[in-house]
Amino acid sequence: MRIDETHRKWFIGSLAGLIVAVAIYIPYSRSSPEGANGGTVAGLTYGSIASAFMLFAGLLGARKKVPIWRVGRAQAWMRGHLWLGFLSFPLIFLHSGFRFGTGLTRGLMWLFVVVFVSGIVGAVLQHFMPRLETQRVPMETIYEQIGRVRSQLVAEAETIVKEASTALAGNVSQATEQQRALSASAGTIGGLTVASGLDVDEGASVELQEFFRREMLPYISQGRSRGMTLADRNRAHSMFQQLRLLLPPNLHPSVEDLENICEEKRELDQQTRYHRVLHAWLLVHIPASYALLLLGAIHAVMALRY
Amino acid sequence: MARRIRTTKNLAKRMDLQYFKQAHPLRSWRLWLSILVPVVAVVWFAAQRASSQKVYSSGPLAAAHAVLGKDCNVCHASTLGFFHEKVSDDACLKCHDAPAHHPEKVAFTASCGSCHVEHQGSPRLASTQNNSCTECHANLTTKSGSPQYVRMVKDFDKEHPEFAALRPGARDPGQVKLNHYAHLKPHLAGPSGPVQMDCQDCHRLATINAPWPYAAPQAPSQTAQSMSQPMSPASPQPMPVAVATSADVKHSRSQDYMLPILYATQCAGCHVKDLQFDKRFDQAAPHDKPEIVQTFLIQKYSDYFASHPRALSEVVAPERILPNTVKLPLPIPRNRQEWLDQQVMLADILLFDKGCKLCHVMVGGTPAEGNGTEGKAPLPTVAKSSIPARWFLHAEFSHESHRLLTCTACHTRTPESRQTADILLPGIASCRDCHEDGGAKHDAASGRCSECHSYHDWTKERPTKGKFTIPQLRASR
Repeated sequence: MRIDETHRKWFIGSLAGLIVAVAIYIPYSRSSPEGANGGTVAGLTYGSIASAFMLFAGLLGARKKVPIWRVGRAQAWMRGHLWLGFLSFPLIFLHSGFRFGTGLTRGLMWLFVVVFVSGIVGAVLQHFMPRLETQRVPMETIYEQIGRVRSQLVAEAETIVKEASTALAGNVSQATEQQRALSASAGTIGGLTVASGLDVDEGASVELQEFFRREMLPYISQGRSRGMTLADRNRAHSMFQQLRLLLPPNLHPSVEDLENICEEKRELDQQTRYHRVLHAWLLVHIPASYALLLLGAIHAVMALRY
Repeated sequence: MARRIRTTKNLAKRMDLQYFKQAHPLRSWRLWLSILVPVVAVVWFAAQRASSQKVYSSGPLAAAHAVLGKDCNVCHASTLGFFHEKVSDDACLKCHDAPAHHPEKVAFTASCGSCHVEHQGSPRLASTQNNSCTECHANLTTKSGSPQYVRMVKDFDKEHPEFAALRPGARDPGQVKLNHYAHLKPHLAGPSGPVQMDCQDCHRLATINAPWPYAAPQAPSQTAQSMSQPMSPASPQPMPVAVATSADVKHSRSQDYMLPILYATQCAGCHVKDLQFDKRFDQAAPHDKPEIVQTFLIQKYSDYFASHPRALSEVVAPERILPNTVKLPLPIPRNRQEWLDQQVMLADILLFDKGCKLCHVMVGGTPAEGNGTEGKAPLPTVAKSSIPARWFLHAEFSHESHRLLTCTACHTRTPESRQTADILLPGIASCRDCHEDGGAKHDAASGRCSECHSYHDWTKERPTKGKFTIPQLRASR
């Protein structure tokens, strides 16, 4: 979620809440023997408010599971999650008197630190990365569909190569003797046979299929393509330029399509990387949040008991 | 050949509309971790709980209570019902029968835990925060409305009154004449030649176990016990000049205070000559009540008369007659009784009008009203020494803790003091040179109230009986 002007009310509300909490804390802490602690009336109040905020933040998951619930807009829930979750962190420190304690309380405090830091990281990533992704991955698709789109790209590329090969085979069968003789003067440029004759067309077809089989198919069919030649935009462009030299001009649009498919595959890979970065923090944040809520409930019950 | 064209329709056709029903690695991981991590957390908690209840602890116990850490129920007893196991005062009173703080004056009594906050890892639980005290003492009111003490004490640094003994109008109640200046002069006549006295020659803590340099030969050594047990007048041991009141002694940590001044241990070495009353006797008069001195003199002269048949005709040595105290010439005694009365009278005058008066205030009659043959005059009494064993009756002070300082670092006026009435107690400004409210945070000694003051009146402490067995305490029952 992008933190923009629409968050202003939440920001001001949270800031005001924090200022009030700190303003109450200072005289309370100074007047309390041994400083502030969670067992006092003020301490329990801080703890209760922070727990309520954490609970609300935790309910975002449930709200997402049942989007048809008429309990406020999802955006409002998200903003509440962000700002009340943020506010709960200093409130917990005011609750504990800035002490980590021992045993369960220490575990809870560290767990909360993990949740808070991962949440902050997530908020920062969610703020900046979507725009970056839109800029750098114009051919973005639904993340979960990437595998499916990749297989479609494979099928599309196979069709293009097949069509190009068929076209090249048709050229050879329709060639005159003179054309066949001229083909003897064929040379090579940059490792690829120069298409200057009918034999060349036959060779070009082989070269095209070979290129597809050895370079392109492994690249577009696999999710992990790091280190492959086509994964590098410049090297890929160079290879496709050579392919253009090999093939007759009427097949250049096909080369362009293949190059475009590789470009889309590169963007899908980029999107995969961005998506992982953008969502990996949730693997820490959500499980730790559940553990925090669970142990927090135990702490609340036991603190009231003892 | 058709070019590759990305239209919305083309792109939409590529989508599997049911994709969200299929498990995706990232979502699967999230789901499994969301189950696994809380389960791990609960397992960790259960494992901690299985080994001890410490997992619930909000912080380490104070050093003195650390032994109770294995069994929370020693303090957290279910006295308030099924669910609650909060610590009540009863739990504390099992071991500490701490008397309430001026119950007849204050409007409420705080719970133990409101001042002695546990689970803070504090090395000394008794070292409470100033807030515990200033909650009332910042604006003191009592049941009667008018407090006996200063109404507003907020901190040590600024808003603490000068010590009561140093406030205007206060005076030293001591009745023993002592000139510190004279005693600290160089080349003072000591028992065996000139000496330079030092504060510790007379003022010492009970913890110092070394012979007194100016003690009488075979004088008993002083201990903390001797401080709290004034000697009986009939006791052969010397009576202490300064006797702490019983309340003073009970309230104090005796090893932190200076031992009282005893004639036998601190004075006799030099001042025994002031109790010499007759050159015919080697023995000096006892340092005791006048009645005992009198009895001693009668006994001495009776014995002398019995062993010296010509005593009646012996001339009185001039140094035995204190000028302007008797009518001269002295009558010649006609019999044993007259001789005895005259000898005792002269010795009394020498002792009570001179020897004793050197240090003590003598009250009442003097035997010098006649010439020894006109009847017996009443004996004087020695004014009670009244040297305060403690100057701070509402505060504690430990000389032991301040042993790194020279005596005159705080008692600065002592070397120049010539009058008994001089109060040589250092003022609060002297304490503030080292003690600050911030304590260690300010690279200073602590200025907390509890550093000097005790909330509980320990003179009213009642003994407590042990309540636990070792297995109960150590949670191995």
